Amino acid sequence: MKKKITLRDIGKIEGQMVDIDKADLSRLPAPLDDPADEPGIKQLTGEQKDRFDASLDGISAIGLVKPQNKQEEEDFVRKFIAGLKKLLSKENNWTFLQPLMLSLENCAKCQNCSEACPVFTESGRQEIYRPTYRTEVLRRIIRKYLKKEGKLLSKFTGSDIDLNFKTIARLAELSYRCTLCRRCAQSCPIGVDNGLITHELRKLFSQEMDIAPKELHQLGTVQHLKVGSSTGTSPKALASFIDFIEGEIEEITGKTIRIPVDKEGADILLLHNAGEFISWPENIEAFAIIFDAAGVDWTLSSSLVAYDAVNYGVWYDDVQLARIAARHAQAARDLKVNRMMVGECGHAHKAMLVVSDRVLTGDLNIPRESAIPLLEDIVLNDKIRLDRSKNNFPVTLHDPCNLVRLSGIVEPQRRILRKICPDFREMEPHGVDNYCCGGGSGFAIMDSNNFSDWRSSVSGRMKLKQILTTFGDVMNPEIHKYVCAPCSNCKGMIRDLLSRYRLTEKHGIYYGGLVDLIANAMVDVKGQFINWETS
Amino acid sequence: MPKVTLGGKELEIDEDGFIQEPEKWDKAVAEDIAKTEEAYPMSEDHWKVINYLRNYFLEFEIAPPIRMVTKQTGFDLKTIYKLFPGGPAKGACKIAGLPKPTGCV
Repeated sequence: MKKKITLRDIGKIEGQMVDIDKADLSRLPAPLDDPADEPGIKQLTGEQKDRFDASLDGISAIGLVKPQNKQEEEDFVRKFIAGLKKLLSKENNWTFLQPLMLSLENCAKCQNCSEACPVFTESGRQEIYRPTYRTEVLRRIIRKYLKKEGKLLSKFTGSDIDLNFKTIARLAELSYRCTLCRRCAQSCPIGVDNGLITHELRKLFSQEMDIAPKELHQLGTVQHLKVGSSTGTSPKALASFIDFIEGEIEEITGKTIRIPVDKEGADILLLHNAGEFISWPENIEAFAIIFDAAGVDWTLSSSLVAYDAVNYGVWYDDVQLARIAARHAQAARDLKVNRMMVGECGHAHKAMLVVSDRVLTGDLNIPRESAIPLLEDIVLNDKIRLDRSKNNFPVTLHDPCNLVRLSGIVEPQRRILRKICPDFREMEPHGVDNYCCGGGSGFAIMDSNNFSDWRSSVSGRMKLKQILTTFGDVMNPEIHKYVCAPCSNCKGMIRDLLSRYRLTEKHGIYYGGLVDLIANAMVDVKGQFINWETS
Repeated sequence: MPKVTLGGKELEIDEDGFIQEPEKWDKAVAEDIAKTEEAYPMSEDHWKVINYLRNYFLEFEIAPPIRMVTKQTGFDLKTIYKLFPGGPAKGACKIAGLPKPTGCV
């Protein structure tokens, strides 16, 4: 059963604040309407509990090691306050200070945001997951500890929050219970952006306190900058993957199509999420087949960092973000391309197309675009021969948040699907009102401790419901159904949802990208491009 | 990182059981990990997959894409899952002493 939780509890409750009981989670529609089908969240082992702080909700996303003595605890609090001061100063946070202050100063507490947040509603309305909970805790800490008149005033206004290890550790975990989907910001009549505040908290923890999930930091941006890709792919491994992919293209199409690498002066430098090479090589193949047929002048880069479009820094650390963004742009500059183009990767759209505007200047300010409008041009203007009857199965579209709500790329992918898929059906809601897959902001790749259970049961729950509802009339496993998710991170999350609830096996629900469907409809591709056996 | 005894050696593993020092891997280590992955006793088919993964890793310092594994070994995905119920990454790669996959994979 849920406990009643107040703001002050974050610094007061001993032990674990709340327990995520599967009985509290929202009910799923058929065929998962039996609560016994819900696997729930596994408990941390005794050894993990001893080592990591999981006092928020029994989940450890960041593997925060507990302080060993009073001194360490005091240093922890001091570092947090120092970091918070920097976060609120123009010199140290010129990138995001203005929107941060607007969001901190203007909340009317109407709670429209809470109703818009799938983590809050699907968890069974856990108070700690309310978008305003972490924000309001932060606001009160700022008021009490950073403002001159704060200490006295906070007592009168009842906003007295203790700033101790518990408060900060829970706030750190809480900054990884929000997928940064920013559906809350869209629903706010004032424009308060709780997603941005969460992002700023993650920044404080990473940049000032070295606290970040290892999948995003050590194995993510650090490995990306050192080895060349967050997947650990070296240039030598990349060459091996490309060789394999060219072989597969030849098997599928009967044509020899070379993947251009480091072609100087090409029109487009295409940047793929390097996870595609490993987990979804068909995505790389489909791009190559389509671009070849449409006569696009393009290239990949084999430069370290630039053969992986990802920029995990956008989720948690501005310094790492800038380092990677610069390496991407340097590769484009060195190859003298006209423009950089992001493939099917949502957060790379955010990093490269939107946030990098503040980082890349001078000769690094090279035009940066999404591949989706180019694909729309190719499909809608008949630059390749297509036969929609080849996609004769139910298809729905998952909207990656960074494509629709953030970048405003909403209609091109739909116009493509309406043209090439006879049974294209929208999820409700969709477009800019979409729900996150549940894996946003790095969650899809965060598997430490028991976090992957949490994301599948809680943050991905609304997406699961949408998929089940959209295909409710065609659940027969003989009918192949396709969730189109034009984003590597979303694909990984949807794969995990389908596998956890055995939806491919029992109900014939598959997933894949957008270009896969385009290649599947191509007349020049004999037979089917989509291979249901390996999907 | 916790330490466990595998193949008669004390080895560091991560929370998912992946060994942290791939250079210390040998066949006895593999067999001990296979016991925890429902892949024991290991047949010739098991070793075909493990040796392929191992050799690819030694050359390229990364696990090969799953489709490369199925093509090179001649086993389809279903067979791989039969041999390694934990799947190609969490089952087979772990037994082959490869690190846990990272990035958006």
